[in-house]
Amino acid sequence: MLAHHLSEAAVSVELETEGMTLNIGPQHPSTHGVLRLVATIDGERATDVRPVIGYMHRGYEKLAEVRTYPQITTIVNRIDWVSGFANEVPFIVAAERLMGVEAPPRAQWIRLVLTEMARISSHLVFMASYPLELGAATPLFFALRERERVLDLLESVTGGRFHPNFNRIGGVKPVYAAGPVTKKAGMDIPAAFLAETRDAMDKVESTCEEIENLVAGNEVFLARTKGVGVIPVEKAASYGVSGPNLRASGCGFDLRKTSDYLPYDGFDFDIPTGENGDCWDRWWVRLEEIRQSARIIRQAIDGIPSGPLQAKVPRIIKVPAGETYVRAENPKGEMGYHLVSLGGLGPYRLKIRSASFSNLSILPWILQGALVPDFIAIMGSIDFVLGDVDR
Amino acid sequence: MTAGPSETVAAEAAVAEAADPLAELAGQVAAAVGGRAEYAHGTAKIRVDASAWKEALTAARDRFGLVFLSWLSAIDWSNETAVGDPPDPPVEERYEMLCAVSDLDEGRLVLFSADIGRGDPSIDSLCGVYPGANWHEREAAEMFGIDFAGHPDLTKLYLPDGFEGYPLRKSYPLLSREVKPWPGKVDVEDMPEAGPDAGNGTRPSTENPGA
Repeated sequence: MLAHHLSEAAVSVELETEGMTLNIGPQHPSTHGVLRLVATIDGERATDVRPVIGYMHRGYEKLAEVRTYPQITTIVNRIDWVSGFANEVPFIVAAERLMGVEAPPRAQWIRLVLTEMARISSHLVFMASYPLELGAATPLFFALRERERVLDLLESVTGGRFHPNFNRIGGVKPVYAAGPVTKKAGMDIPAAFLAETRDAMDKVESTCEEIENLVAGNEVFLARTKGVGVIPVEKAASYGVSGPNLRASGCGFDLRKTSDYLPYDGFDFDIPTGENGDCWDRWWVRLEEIRQSARIIRQAIDGIPSGPLQAKVPRIIKVPAGETYVRAENPKGEMGYHLVSLGGLGPYRLKIRSASFSNLSILPWILQGALVPDFIAIMGSIDFVLGDVDR
Repeated sequence: MTAGPSETVAAEAAVAEAADPLAELAGQVAAAVGGRAEYAHGTAKIRVDASAWKEALTAARDRFGLVFLSWLSAIDWSNETAVGDPPDPPVEERYEMLCAVSDLDEGRLVLFSADIGRGDPSIDSLCGVYPGANWHEREAAEMFGIDFAGHPDLTKLYLPDGFEGYPLRKSYPLLSREVKPWPGKVDVEDMPEAGPDAGNGTRPSTENPGA
């Protein structure tokens, strides 16, 4: 009897199984927009996954060729709309570098504060959505409450929550705290901004505490993220995976430490890194980065220099001929602009290097052999925005 | 007057300080791969022959630790443009392939560049060196019409199947502008305070530079 069963088992193992095609998206809540996955699955495991992108391709590189430099900031802050402010900075710095202009210290520090606030708000969206995708709804309310606070502050300075369009070549937009629009000296960031930001950072940090208490000990969350979707650091590098996803794999590379697009060099902050490169590490690194950003913002508020917000630039911006590539540590990873100017009012070519594009390109590799239920956990942990993928 | 010893030392120190480590690295890499290094505006660029494209990037990865693929794309150098201003003075017509790679210690990024002819543009695929080049090359192929020899799956990335034309070529018109011309300053109201003494009410940057 036993022998009979065994022989039957042997036969069933040798049976040829046919892969099934599973379509996910383009309109699925876990795809953060309009990403489509065509997965071939064998039982519960994927044998081949092909992401289909381009549903949100807006042709920004082409559009940039028919726009003036000041007009392009309105385009670039729509690339990764969860951290619109951070997208503007490297583009503006690239143009400034070719023009030989440098923004005054106070303007650079304001850029730095707002970039870190963009990082906090972007990571808070992740803190909200990722546990939700894995079945925990409560952290969303904590995270989005704090994000609103941060966005309100961003709005109080720039006038925009998502699309600030606040950077100008040679500085930042003159800000009017109240009253009519005048060009008098003394215009600055709103009077209460610095104090309110300090207060908000306290609240953000205590919310990090709350989120950690809620999520980090949750058995279901741990089971679904620990050891799932492991990316070795060499793989990450060869695919161009950057930012928190790279640091979760154990690489302590951060452009804020190595690059000079913003004056980070005097600041005291740590680069959190993961150990295993799994979904859990990617979640944890982002949580720590919120705390580090709050730390940076506190130091920036304490030491912000006074002075003008705008360097002297010509009334009509023409960028001298030349090319440069400026990259920045954005919330999603490395974002850079390769700007080629021939001396005109607009660029001859603007290559936009967006973080999510490269981060997502590792998906076929990482999802191969993964369990179908882990798709959501893995995709969510990469934290991409489709606007940042498709540009 | 000849420079005294102390002045010479000071001058040497100034040179040593001015020599950017990135420019230095670019020089070393260029010498190793048989290319030509340029350094300007904080960006190091190494020009190599298109035939040496794959070998150069392989050497960069294996011998100089440039393991991180930042991006890969192309530029269409063309004197006839359907969008934007044509180059002045004229440029040598070609496609310029660009690939940016970096290390993960000090963040030194080097841009590799190779010119390819306009006739039947083709270059070796880098998928075997940096697997992440796959998507970047698919994008460059559909946007510029460049063929990547040895690419495993050179299908369209963003554009729908059957799309004709190569949108990022300079000869490709921006169709939305053809259908509806750029309104320019027509729909822009003057700023409230703009009186006769505020620059004659003219505003910069509302004119469209091209198309």
